[in-house]
Amino acid sequence: MHLTGLDLFFWAASFLGHLVLLFVLWKRHRAKLFPFFTTLISTNILRTIALYMVVRLGTKDNYFYTYWSLALLDTILQLCIAYEMASHVFRPMGVWASDVRKSFFWLLGLSVFLACGLGWLASPPTRSVVQALVIKTNLFAAAWMSELFVGMMTLSRRVNRPWNTHVAAIAKGFGVYSIVNVVIETGHTYFGVRQSTQAYTALSHLRIAVYLGCVVYWIVALWLDAPPSQQLTEKMRAQLFTLQRKVEYDLQSLRSRREL
Amino acid sequence: MNTHTVYFLLAVAIFLAVLIAAAGHDYYRARRSPQESWESLMRRLISVDRASVARIALDLLEESEQSGKDDTGTAVEPSDILQLIGGLKGLEILEKNSQVLIEMASYLQRSYPEALIIAEQLRQNAREIESHVGRLRGAAQNGNLEISFPFYGQRAIATYYLMTRRLLNLYEQGNVPMLADLQKAL
Repeated sequence: MHLTGLDLFFWAASFLGHLVLLFVLWKRHRAKLFPFFTTLISTNILRTIALYMVVRLGTKDNYFYTYWSLALLDTILQLCIAYEMASHVFRPMGVWASDVRKSFFWLLGLSVFLACGLGWLASPPTRSVVQALVIKTNLFAAAWMSELFVGMMTLSRRVNRPWNTHVAAIAKGFGVYSIVNVVIETGHTYFGVRQSTQAYTALSHLRIAVYLGCVVYWIVALWLDAPPSQQLTEKMRAQLFTLQRKVEYDLQSLRSRREL
Repeated sequence: MNTHTVYFLLAVAIFLAVLIAAAGHDYYRARRSPQESWESLMRRLISVDRASVARIALDLLEESEQSGKDDTGTAVEPSDILQLIGGLKGLEILEKNSQVLIEMASYLQRSYPEALIIAEQLRQNAREIESHVGRLRGAAQNGNLEISFPFYGQRAIATYYLMTRRLLNLYEQGNVPMLADLQKAL
């Protein structure tokens, strides 16, 4: 396989970016909080090394099967991360709230249905069934992930679940990446790989560039500490004080009523 | 470009538009200033007859705590509960307020992470109120509201009352002046 300068640049940048991110996760003690996210980053480092070795030493078929096996693992880990984010937000005490659980299952079901719909509608121009299947599966995975991350944000707002700063950073990164990925996979589906792989390759480079942007964002966001707790404003204090006085008055009234 | 491709691109465009709109809306809501949301929360809290709420709630709570003992307080007659709280409408106001109380707890959770436990309890309470009010709505449709109200209504009111206590406890943890005295009095 011939690698261009840009390919090598992305390869090196991805390897270095993931190494730095893994260091941040370990150094700032975030790895314990986000085990699946840390696993994904570690896997990506190993994947970069493995694919580089296969490119150098293996055949085109070896590369194809290694790449797609690892891509499947990547998708499974992204699903685990979606679960990890949901756990942080929707079951902070270790138990899923019944109202959230129901909505979350709805979100899961609906997102799979819609992503399947898009995958089914896609008919990329390809030379083999395997290529078509790969493009359709990628589109399905991108659509599903984007729905899950955006859906979780919407659901958390609806049930008033605040997001921890670092959870929000990871989810935002995946949210943006997966939405861009839907656009890129749509491009892959539209252009296909029947006549030329030029458009396919350019779009893949764009995806890697966006993902690297997310890696840089995660490095910065996860290195920084969460902002300090806010202070109650004077106005809020006054309102709470008034509320407290009213309650005190009610209780006194009740007591005197009971003494009658 | 064939028809199938047009449908596909149209479906993706709608899909992306909905996703981006939802994400943008959430982002906008999250960026709003805390003071602004606090003000809107205060405005959303509908005024209720707190004395009646406390009276009905304490009647049930004390009854369950002192079952078997003589009650020296002024007992609330089951038939009075409906009138005191303003019927099903009054209970629906408490149901709406319970959602605001959760939002107030979530709001303070941003400042005080320890508010998490109370916020979770409030969520459970709000679900209980919803369930009681739902049963009463069903009873109203069947013409049995007056029979069911004392049982489900009083439980919903007592739950709401406990929610207000828990929220005040939460404020106490925020070092709001005078609330420690209130807790002693309770």
